Amino acid sequence: MKKLIMPLLAGALALTSATGALALDPIKLQIKWVTQSQFAGYYVAKAKGYYEAEGLDVTILPGGPTTPVPPVLAAGGADVAVEWAGNALIAREKGIKMVNIAQPFRNGGLELICPKDGPIKTEADFPGHTLGSWFYGNEVPFFAWMHKLGYSTEGGPNGVTVLQQNFDVSALVQHQADCISVMTYNELGQAADAGFTADKIIEFNYSAMGNGLLEDGLYVLEEKLADPKFKEDMVKFVRASMKGWDYALANPDESAQIVVDADDAGAATLAHERYMVGEVAKLMAGANGVLDKATWDRTVQALLDQKFLTAPPDATAYTTEITDAAFK
Amino acid sequence: MTNWQRLLAIVAGLSALGAAATMLPQIQSLIFIVGVLGALTLARFFIPFSFWIDGVLAVLAGVAVLTSLGQSGPPLWLTLIAMWVFAWLFIDRLATAIANGEVGLPGIGVLVPIAFGITLLAIWEAVVQGFNINHVFLPPPSAIWAKLTAADSVAILWKDFQQTFLKGVLSGFALGTVAGLAVAILVDRSPFLKRGILPIGNFASALPIVGIAPIMVMWFGYDWQSKAAVILCVTFFPMLINTLAGLNSAGRMEGDMMRTYAASYWQSLLKLRLPAAMPFIFNALKINSTLALIAAIVAEFFGSPIVGMGFRISTGVGRLDVEMVWAEVAVAAVAGSASYGLIALIERAVTFWHPSVRGGRA
Repeated sequence: MKKLIMPLLAGALALTSATGALALDPIKLQIKWVTQSQFAGYYVAKAKGYYEAEGLDVTILPGGPTTPVPPVLAAGGADVAVEWAGNALIAREKGIKMVNIAQPFRNGGLELICPKDGPIKTEADFPGHTLGSWFYGNEVPFFAWMHKLGYSTEGGPNGVTVLQQNFDVSALVQHQADCISVMTYNELGQAADAGFTADKIIEFNYSAMGNGLLEDGLYVLEEKLADPKFKEDMVKFVRASMKGWDYALANPDESAQIVVDADDAGAATLAHERYMVGEVAKLMAGANGVLDKATWDRTVQALLDQKFLTAPPDATAYTTEITDAAFK
Repeated sequence: MTNWQRLLAIVAGLSALGAAATMLPQIQSLIFIVGVLGALTLARFFIPFSFWIDGVLAVLAGVAVLTSLGQSGPPLWLTLIAMWVFAWLFIDRLATAIANGEVGLPGIGVLVPIAFGITLLAIWEAVVQGFNINHVFLPPPSAIWAKLTAADSVAILWKDFQQTFLKGVLSGFALGTVAGLAVAILVDRSPFLKRGILPIGNFASALPIVGIAPIMVMWFGYDWQSKAAVILCVTFFPMLINTLAGLNSAGRMEGDMMRTYAASYWQSLLKLRLPAAMPFIFNALKINSTLALIAAIVAEFFGSPIVGMGFRISTGVGRLDVEMVWAEVAVAAVAGSASYGLIALIERAVTFWHPSVRGGRA
């Protein structure tokens, strides 16, 4: 009899511990790009057990250049997503009701860089030249800026010629564009590796110029937010994520290693991730995850000016309830 | 009627009956009227009637569905099923009748694919509207049509077509065709080249477009020239292989005859072997006509000026402007089919001597 009871007991114990693990709420996070230090805070929060401590089982889903985030969210492929405000607001107008619940990146990392020995010295030199931009929804800040400067994007002597550039710096290396778009935390490093070091280029930083649109924020679907349980999970998620960010920025070497370890694709390298987390730290200086209303309004205005949006979004396009509850 | 058609007839009649029954008591509604008419077709098992009645009922049911899309529910879906099955029955019976030579109206053969296409579009429209599917996932055909015909998007579509098709595809296609043909003739002449170039050609054809497109952008710039280069790469090999096979297809007997006439190499090439190779060459042209368009569109994903069909598709996806994406897809489909059709027509004229053409069909 004893022989029978012991395995049964062991089995029962195993079962209870299994249900203990199941008690964690599963949350799927869709990131905007591939696994890299742009999302270090989330990877660190997962690796350090911050999510688990809040009772969450977070799965991070990498994206890529051709993975638009909003449809993933709408189709239920993820519960929460990292997205730029412009894309989220455009999606909202198309019926995918995305809501900003937190804004980890205070400043944006988008820049236009031009070689110093080239024809571009200031914004006034742009007409008649070729500028590179990304598309797939990343073109919003560029076109908003050109619109503000009053330059046509259809070429000609009073306009600029726009290239749909790759996600690398080859257009600059090949002299196919006079200026190209880079992210400070990614392609700017590639440019330096290719010989375009900081002393050889002129940088037009969107945030520094006051033209920055909100970049990486956390978005969920409005209808899911109506569920109090989900709302509570999001409070926990945002709190744990910001804790992850704090740790990542304070311990960049360890953070870079965590990201490299988390990259199933095997593309991330330690040196590049270390560089990236250092640059991301600049964007997050003083950031606490709370959305800055002024930048939000400027983002909305730029989208309206550029006719990416036909009408201003309603008041529920963002909420501070989550961050208020998370950091009270 | 075949057993299968009998089964379809029963399903069509019953779903129409169901639609009418669930629509009660609104007997003046179109769905009810069409339902009753559809149910009456069950009488066909006692009094057979023409398939044209099935066609008319399919059209009526389609009109009933598309005008009542607001009221999603059993009557709507049953009418949709009735429309679909009536259309199926109509197409099936019509195709059988044409095959048996029972209908001899000129051009009647075109009716089969047209009826099929219209049915598909009607179901698509009804499902998207009826289930209220977000247009980001699947826009209804009416929204795509609106995009295809609106003045501002027509201007964009035309610019994209010029950039991708008229500049990129046509030049790349011409280059690939000429290069493939020329190299095939060289290879055919020299056993050394045959051993050297064929494996390399084979290797080049195995390169994926996504691999060569960024490289061509680096070499030839962002504009259409790099797209033409990608097309050259993908169209070269089908042309080479087909032409080689074609050059070897001339009969031994005819070859011997040319020799007895003391024909030179070039004479026998131009008068016998190239004409004999024409069916093969046209085969390659037809394959390449669609391959070239696909290659151009995919290549534009990897760097382009801000115009072009591939550019518009990729940015449309990013901006969730999905109607525009589908409009470009529609233009690409029409352009691809039209160039295929044009080449098939030229083929009929050029290879008039070939048994397949003499039989009357290209």
